[in-house]
Amino acid sequence: MNILTEMIRGWFGPDKMSDQMVLILSAVTLATLMFVVMALCALVFTWMERKVAGFIQSRYGPMRTGRWHGWAQAVADMLKILGKEDIIPAEANRFFFSFAPILVLLGSLLAWAAIPWSPNFVSADLDLGLFYIFAVSSLAIIGILMAGWASNNKWALYGAARGAAQMVSYEIPLALACIPVVMYTGSLNTSDIVIAQQGGVLNWFLFRNPFIFVAFFMYFIASIAETNRGPFDMPETESELVAGYHTEYTGMRFAFFFLSEYANLFLVSLIASMVFLGGWWSPIPGTDFAPALTFIIKGVLMVLLNMWVRWTLPRVRVDQLMYLCWKVMIPVSLTCVVGAGLWMMWRGQA
Amino acid sequence: MEGFLFWFCGILMFLGGLMMVVQRSAVVSAVWLVFSFLCTAGIFALLSAPFLAVMQVLVYAGAIMVLFLYVIMMLHGPVLEDELIPSNKALWPLIAIPPAAVVILLVGWVKGEGLRTMPDSIAADFGTAEHVAQLLLGRYLLAFELISIVLLVAIIGALAIGQRERKLPWK
Repeated sequence: MNILTEMIRGWFGPDKMSDQMVLILSAVTLATLMFVVMALCALVFTWMERKVAGFIQSRYGPMRTGRWHGWAQAVADMLKILGKEDIIPAEANRFFFSFAPILVLLGSLLAWAAIPWSPNFVSADLDLGLFYIFAVSSLAIIGILMAGWASNNKWALYGAARGAAQMVSYEIPLALACIPVVMYTGSLNTSDIVIAQQGGVLNWFLFRNPFIFVAFFMYFIASIAETNRGPFDMPETESELVAGYHTEYTGMRFAFFFLSEYANLFLVSLIASMVFLGGWWSPIPGTDFAPALTFIIKGVLMVLLNMWVRWTLPRVRVDQLMYLCWKVMIPVSLTCVVGAGLWMMWRGQA
Repeated sequence: MEGFLFWFCGILMFLGGLMMVVQRSAVVSAVWLVFSFLCTAGIFALLSAPFLAVMQVLVYAGAIMVLFLYVIMMLHGPVLEDELIPSNKALWPLIAIPPAAVVILLVGWVKGEGLRTMPDSIAADFGTAEHVAQLLLGRYLLAFELISIVLLVAIIGALAIGQRERKLPWK
């Protein structure tokens, strides 16, 4: 159980409130908390992205707003977006057009529930946590298709079609890459996966088995494609499709897409740190003073790696993208699953 | 609470199915089908079968429906025109036969067995990952493998047909 539910139970006492009320209250609090964290992430990461892009391209990036390295630029941009007029195109399907951003955001927000932030803080400690994360994040694909179709705009439709094809395909290597770890843990519970990696950097799954080491890179590549970021940002290619599936969106609705993009970026980074990089355990055994902070730092480092890749590599073509997924990554991930199993049997770890 | 949620999900699932049938646009139909699948997942979750619930979302609401939507959108999905609705009044009773059969069967079943709601007790391992895995890879292994061969044949067939008719714009 998580610490917050215990706190709420403690404040109101077991006699004043039924268990159901405690559960509902803690669910509402946790959902709000996760949403706030998500919004903060989006703010910090947009600023970070612009600074990283600037550094890689030998320029400064935002420097003026808020004096110190333009730290308030993201806040100003967010306020500007919220103040924009909310436009729904005359020929759009109004219901789907307004529902799509909510569905996309819901997909990423739901997935955040199963992230184990620290030993005693998981919003929803599910037996099938990892599996649940993959399942609910697939809801976002329907949202993207809906957005592209309802906009009644050919760029948006192309962007949505590309996005859906890409995300459905890359879900497979993404999930396959996590299977060797699940084989070691014998559980899909996210906390169990982290607990199994106790005892320093050598016990992280990344270094336990050469096949998992390869699977980590498969996961990393697939996660870039899954978040629709460069070099796999086919759904949004500015030079061909204006902005892809969210071409017609403005104001708050656009902010939802924007928010979910960065929330997904942080989500896949957190999953990488949870599944392969030891989650909340610090690299040196016996120094686990701030588990949640360790976990977040690992996640942010993975985000930085993502940004580095995005601003360094040129965009691939659509057919190259599909080739990479179906003919390279899926066979390699499958080999990793089989190989990791054989390695476990050989080393007697099974 | 669980009884209420069972009826809530059940009724929404039924409404989703109904909306899917009566819609004119294939895309809207497909979205209603997704909605119906999500409600089914809710019922699985209520039956404490988490694995089935997550599977329902991942496979049906996620992957399969995305492919459906994808195909429908790419083909600029069929929107039923008025002419497509049979104007020949003689055909109307024919259309009523399948739903009427379903209603009669359902009424008969409810009369015989009584109206069922949530069962009071469920086997502890019902719908868990282990239970499903043991059924799929043990008892129903042959059927499971045969189905995957059928799917493989279907994919190869679709590729073969698609290959022949493919006309690339620059050729």
